[in-house]
Amino acid sequence: MSTSGLARGGNVVSPASPVLTLRGVSKAFGAVQALREVSVDCRAGEIHALVGENGSGKSTLLGIASGFLVPDEGTVVVGETERRRVSPAESRRLGLGIAYQTYSHVLHLTVAENLYLAAPSDLRPTYGRMNGWAADRLGAFDLDISPTALAGTLSLAERQLLEVVKALLAEPKVLLLDEPTTALGPEDVDRLHALVHERSRAGVGVLYVSHRLPEVLGIADRISVLRDGVGQGTFEAASMSEESLVALMIGRPLQLAFPQRHEREAGREVLLAVSGLRGDRFGPIDLEVTSGEIVGIAGAEGNGQAQFLRALAGAERSTGTATCDGKELDSSSPLGPLRAGVVLLSGDRASESLFPVLSVRANATIQVLRRLGRLGFVNRRRERRTVDGLVKRLSIRTASIEQPVQTLSGGNQQKVSLTRPFQRGDVRVILAEEPTQGVDVASRFDIYGALREKAKEGVATIIKSSDPLELAGLCDRVVVMSRGQIVDEIPGDELGERRIVEAIVGSRAGARERAAESPEEST
Amino acid sequence: MKWSRFSGALPLVLMTLLIVAVGTFATVRQDAFLTSFNLNNLLLLAMPLALVSLGQTCALLVGGFDVSVAALMTFCVVVASYTMTYETSGWALLPGGLVLVAVGLGTGIFNAVLIRVLKLPSIIATLGTLSILEGASLLLRDHPEGPISSDAVSGLTKSVSFVPIAFIAVVVLAVAGDVWLYRTRTGLATRAVGLDETSSRRLGMATGRIVFFAFVACSVMASLAGLYLAAQVQIGSPILDIGFSLESIACAVLGGAALSGGKGSFVGTLLAALFLSLFDNILPLFHQPTEYSQITIGVLILLALVLYSAPDLLARFRTSRAGVGRLRSAEGDAAG
Repeated sequence: MSTSGLARGGNVVSPASPVLTLRGVSKAFGAVQALREVSVDCRAGEIHALVGENGSGKSTLLGIASGFLVPDEGTVVVGETERRRVSPAESRRLGLGIAYQTYSHVLHLTVAENLYLAAPSDLRPTYGRMNGWAADRLGAFDLDISPTALAGTLSLAERQLLEVVKALLAEPKVLLLDEPTTALGPEDVDRLHALVHERSRAGVGVLYVSHRLPEVLGIADRISVLRDGVGQGTFEAASMSEESLVALMIGRPLQLAFPQRHEREAGREVLLAVSGLRGDRFGPIDLEVTSGEIVGIAGAEGNGQAQFLRALAGAERSTGTATCDGKELDSSSPLGPLRAGVVLLSGDRASESLFPVLSVRANATIQVLRRLGRLGFVNRRRERRTVDGLVKRLSIRTASIEQPVQTLSGGNQQKVSLTRPFQRGDVRVILAEEPTQGVDVASRFDIYGALREKAKEGVATIIKSSDPLELAGLCDRVVVMSRGQIVDEIPGDELGERRIVEAIVGSRAGARERAAESPEEST
Repeated sequence: MKWSRFSGALPLVLMTLLIVAVGTFATVRQDAFLTSFNLNNLLLLAMPLALVSLGQTCALLVGGFDVSVAALMTFCVVVASYTMTYETSGWALLPGGLVLVAVGLGTGIFNAVLIRVLKLPSIIATLGTLSILEGASLLLRDHPEGPISSDAVSGLTKSVSFVPIAFIAVVVLAVAGDVWLYRTRTGLATRAVGLDETSSRRLGMATGRIVFFAFVACSVMASLAGLYLAAQVQIGSPILDIGFSLESIACAVLGGAALSGGKGSFVGTLLAALFLSLFDNILPLFHQPTEYSQITIGVLILLALVLYSAPDLLARFRTSRAGVGRLRSAEGDAAG
């Protein structure tokens, strides 16, 4: 980043008073502990970066700071005011501006109306002068967006910039930016960073959340690291390198026993071929997966990985072609891919793949009931035998197969959804979205084993995961997605957790290198 | 933008055209239609539906439904047979009327607490209220009895020439409502909450309070509608077989409200209520069975919904081709 040197000169970290302090903050979502006693402070005039892997609790922390989420424990101090619980409106009055990662736009309202709602009362013009005022505000940020356009018609980059403008509208003393560059091109990133520097020189404290380490190192004065919801310390940016940050972010010495990769004879047939597929938030994507291969998709959250998988399974709209075993997939609805043997294991188990109140038995056999019966009546004994066998094979820990799946642990729930591809003899492709999210360690390895077993039978598998360790241990090959496109590919012999994390955090640099056609990459 | 502005005015234009067309037809074919007696009668008969529909529009604006309004109206009629009895007259009627408004206020707060505090879906919550109110009505009067003060009736139906004063008030209310909705910040905030509650809360709006007020306003309007219904039936009847809940939703939708919230027009709703009442009024003039009215209303609602959503559908089709549009699977706030 060209601007970084300039800023750091004028912005030496001073013992300025903190404008935002989070003290001993904890937050749990159901059984998942998102944050555990995290303390962070942001001083006036500093750019304080917050880094961590996907799911490490960065957005949760910002949500608590802004008052959108209520912490289970701990306090938030904005300026002088200490609160356990503030509303978003109150924290804005106290001088806090935030740009959410998933935005705060009302898409059916115009840009001007969105800005108007975001403005505090003393900065609002009369209702009738809204459009002129909005054009003025947008002009001040050099944003070429029509105030009368509906927010829903803006491009993702425009939405992201508008979100930042909204955060700055009230002239905040603390500015929280949550992944503000995910949809931006290099030029817009530089512009945004120049803007952030300008604000911090004016005395605004900036809390900058990002997973892009080059950007973070270029812009931050101090960096705090989160791992699995636990603070790993705050460091002077000048003393850190990408390597040392990555080490802090992953920091797991644990080497786990992944299933043995099986030998795949060279030149095996391509089972799944995707070409020029594009849809909401991703594309165009070209990808080929051979029979028996497990391909991982890595990338920071929100770069189109989930949408890509869902589009392949027909759960989301897309254009372009995908073929399975030479036949074109009809991805206009989930039915086409299912008939062709393409199975999606959704990341949202509770609402998309399982029926939480139904039993293990019913959940396991719901797609194949026809085969278990005769003349439309299910043969219960045969059904039980099948399910019992699968429960043993996948080591599903359940008191009985009649137990509702909502009473099982997350890992065992996931194994229940895995029973489905095991019962259908015709499964060709498994698309697994975060197969081990919220899954205990022991169950994880049962799931890995099950996926590998299917691969040995010749099934092609794509796994989208935010856990680099899992991808490194399980996959034959990993592709890295950024801004909806595949920007890097890591072959099996180079696979390692560190290599994947580096590809994710430096994915922009990786993309450039690929464009320059230099196959060697420094690690 | 052109499209969206067009889609906003479409219901108003359509309803006006339908009223003019049907009115003209009736005028030409039936001498009895364009008489000040008939017009006065028509406007008075439209009052309950107009009032309750305006209230329903509030609930729809914040993305909810209130199916308890019909039961509340019946309950108000029953209560009126106690508080506005045949013997009372003049100013003594005022407390009786205020009791009805208080009933509406109480019901509204009850609904709003169920919806905002206990987080029940509005349709379920108000379904419960509906049942409670129906039972309460039968408890108070197990058969129609208790005539309602004729003084109240003549007061409520007072007219200037053929236009009831109450109708003028309703027109003023609807226009003021639209000015509020489309020309003030609180109106904009109300629409924003109906369109996208998460974003609204992030923008710092008091989403809870707005939804709360919307449901209270809906019930208060329904109690006023109940007052006019009492003036029509003139007896404390617990078994009025009335479809005001669905009809009020139909009027709001014909007037431009979206079932998903955030869209609507009070003037449009009023026009729709007038149109439906007009239709009910002219069928007997042409010696047609009133069943036709129900069928026609059903067909109209379906046609209107398709017509109103056409601009949106077109726009959505275009944006989805361009690769934008909000993520369907919400990447929740829990993600780090």
